[in-house]
Amino acid sequence: MRKEVIGPFQLFAMIVLFELGTAVVVPIGLESGHAVWISILMALPGGILLYLVYAYLYRQFPDLVISGYTRKILGKWIGWPLSLLYLPVLTYNGSRNLREAGDLLISSSYDRTPIFIINCIMVIAVMYILYQGIEVFSRTAEIYFWVIVLMGLIANFVVIIAGLVQFKNLFPIHPGEWVEALKSAYPNIWIFPYGELVCFTAILPHFNSKHKIGRTGVGAMALSAFLLSFTHAVEMSVLGEDIYSRTTFPMFTTITLVNVANFLQRLDALVILTLIIGVFFKMSIYCYAAVSIAADLFHVKEPRRLVIPVGSVVLYSSFVSAENFPLHMNDGKVFLENILPILCAVIPVLLFIVHRIRRRFGWYK
Amino acid sequence: MPNETTESRPGEISNSKEQGPPIYLKLEDNIKQICDRLGNSPDLIVRAYESPFQNIRVKTLYINGLIDKELVEEYITHALSFDSLRQGIEPAAEEAFAYAKEKAQNIGKEKIVEDQNSLLEGLLSGDTMILFDGLEKGISVSTSGGEGRSVTEATTQVNIRGPKDSFTESLGTNLSLVRKRIKNPNLWVETLTIGAVTKTDVSIVHIHGLAKEETLQQIRKKLADIHVDSILESGYIEQLIEENNYSPFPTLYNTERPDSVAGNLLEGRIAIFVDGTPFVLILPATFFMFFHTVEDYYQRYDISSIIRILRFICLLVSLFGPAIFVAALNFHQEMIPTPLLINFASQREGVPFPVVIEVLLLEVTFEIIREAGIRMPSQIGQTVSIIGGLVLGQAAVQAGIVSPAMVIVVSLTGISSFATPAFNMALSIRILRFIITFVAAYIGLYGIAIIGLMLVAHLCSLRSLGVPYMSPVAPFASGDQKDIFLRTPLHFMKTRRRLISKDSKVPGTTAQLSRDGRHES
Repeated sequence: MRKEVIGPFQLFAMIVLFELGTAVVVPIGLESGHAVWISILMALPGGILLYLVYAYLYRQFPDLVISGYTRKILGKWIGWPLSLLYLPVLTYNGSRNLREAGDLLISSSYDRTPIFIINCIMVIAVMYILYQGIEVFSRTAEIYFWVIVLMGLIANFVVIIAGLVQFKNLFPIHPGEWVEALKSAYPNIWIFPYGELVCFTAILPHFNSKHKIGRTGVGAMALSAFLLSFTHAVEMSVLGEDIYSRTTFPMFTTITLVNVANFLQRLDALVILTLIIGVFFKMSIYCYAAVSIAADLFHVKEPRRLVIPVGSVVLYSSFVSAENFPLHMNDGKVFLENILPILCAVIPVLLFIVHRIRRRFGWYK
Repeated sequence: MPNETTESRPGEISNSKEQGPPIYLKLEDNIKQICDRLGNSPDLIVRAYESPFQNIRVKTLYINGLIDKELVEEYITHALSFDSLRQGIEPAAEEAFAYAKEKAQNIGKEKIVEDQNSLLEGLLSGDTMILFDGLEKGISVSTSGGEGRSVTEATTQVNIRGPKDSFTESLGTNLSLVRKRIKNPNLWVETLTIGAVTKTDVSIVHIHGLAKEETLQQIRKKLADIHVDSILESGYIEQLIEENNYSPFPTLYNTERPDSVAGNLLEGRIAIFVDGTPFVLILPATFFMFFHTVEDYYQRYDISSIIRILRFICLLVSLFGPAIFVAALNFHQEMIPTPLLINFASQREGVPFPVVIEVLLLEVTFEIIREAGIRMPSQIGQTVSIIGGLVLGQAAVQAGIVSPAMVIVVSLTGISSFATPAFNMALSIRILRFIITFVAAYIGLYGIAIIGLMLVAHLCSLRSLGVPYMSPVAPFASGDQKDIFLRTPLHFMKTRRRLISKDSKVPGTTAQLSRDGRHES
């Protein structure tokens, strides 16, 4: 079979969709108060550095997914179990996204539909698209990139012309808050959403123009950071710090306030649609990463055969992992602070350092 | 003219039991054999020519209605008078044969046939056969002609501005209509015969130097791989060569407009003409092609662009219209402004069915009216639409079966689906609309969003002869965007589509084509 390839713009679109995914809808970086939008921008340089580490590793091993070069760099005996760690983390993270989408849908209009049905439908769609292959997936991402950009523009525009934005909610920023902002930027926002790009180590082997890898990724990250920061600034300015931190889905609450000339109102559907699309792509990328790492670790020739098992695991863990949404958010905090940094930052940086040392001293056979 | 011709009815000739592929020495045996194999069909005309020489006996055969009578009269009769041979002594049959063959060159496409099968094949495609007594071969002269529909106005792809001619059922006429528009030696035509029984002529037309060689090879291979009895319409070819048999979306474009074919050939696409149908296939086709019309290029760019955007809005309305209505009424009442919601509720007070049943009732009725309107003779078609549209719609509301708002939604979607210029694309949208409505009835907007995602993914997975169906949007090519959603001014369109044509960058290619006659590649 022909090797599937993805182009620079496709990668760009995928990264933007992945970054915006859930982060645009759920509150992030609660510690920083109303300076959350600054935290998002502050975390960007760190995120870019981390991405450049992934990009470097990709350039060194252009045909291998992360589990492949982990074994090359650290040796089979350390590399294999270490890569195996990625599987539960990726599937769990995917299932978390699914849960968030399911809960938003249930709280917005499907109060009588079981979460299983909601999540199941999403997982079926994810399985379908992954079964079509990464090329089809990346093309779909390209189209939805424009859809998301368009919807984002409409939503922000409507909120602004409705006269809801109040700058007093954003400014002034006191010196102490800058420190707070920095604290919430590192490691929280740095890892979620930027560090989660570690999933792309499974997609990069399909990338077709090696020399554009840095530019594409950094551009996409910068754009998504800007969009995220802007959206959260708008949300914060509309809701104020107090409501922003208490509401489950600030964007949803923001948009329900819109009423332009008694005509443009009730744009909730726009937010729900954004979340569905975002979660869909984010989850698909998680599942894809899990599928290709699993295929690499267990030597499965046809990765497509793993789509259904991985999808089922994600579906199952999405509703058994937490009893209710607050518990789910709490789990998320622990997960974000303790487990994700290891996989997103520590292991790749370790690989980077070991690889440099081994190459420097010629310790590769 | 010294020659008197006598027409003999082949039906009178008795059957001969002999069989065999070669042409016999004796003329009568040949005639008998041919009549026999054609089942003594009365449209086979055998004409005997009284030659000035005793030893030479000649007969011509053709099938009435397939030939151009004037050609036969003028040339064959002339050729067989053996005028210039008259001075000499009695010529041998061989000599007369050579003479007749030379004369036949006046008509062209003459060839020597040596077995009965090719003789019959020639006869059936409109050739005239000249058989000599005492020779085991004959001359076949291409005299095909006969009755056909004349070039008329396009009926399926109507436009306000632009040429009014359309293709006919005759392959030759169709090719000439395109040649008249592209006066360039690089317009190349390859013809092959497909169909074990029908032996239909199929022509592949492309502009040498613009069409991609790999695509051409692929088409040639695919056409060569077709093994069926009959090709009665280009739809047969379409279904036999398309890659995605299980997709609702058409991956080949068809048109009956010569200007559309010419435009597409100039973009580097390839056309397949099939004898016997006015519909010409164009490939590779992309999704967005089905929403463009040739008229977009004849009107000013601003108007065309706005109309194009309108068409895409119509696409969304006709796909998602009833679904969103059902979803809003069933799941998302908060999306509808309160006064309107109360209004809907009061309208639906007397309606006994759930919203989705109501939609289905109306949609199915609408489809029935539409289908009946197509098949009816045109005089009655009007009546059907009046009965269907006015009487049924109005009466159904008054009878309390459906609510008035529903009639509006369904008729709006119905009319929107007519705004898609390509009929086959409109058909697939009609089918998908039902599926999406069902999903919306089950799980509301969420279902619509998910099925939308799956639909886009499916569209992205399609290919038309190797070209991604959604190109140039996915994969995105920024240089090719000027003729997709908008129609930018003509002086911007100096490049051809990268994935489709061989030469995309150079605006001078066209100039080169016209200057040298041949394109260097």
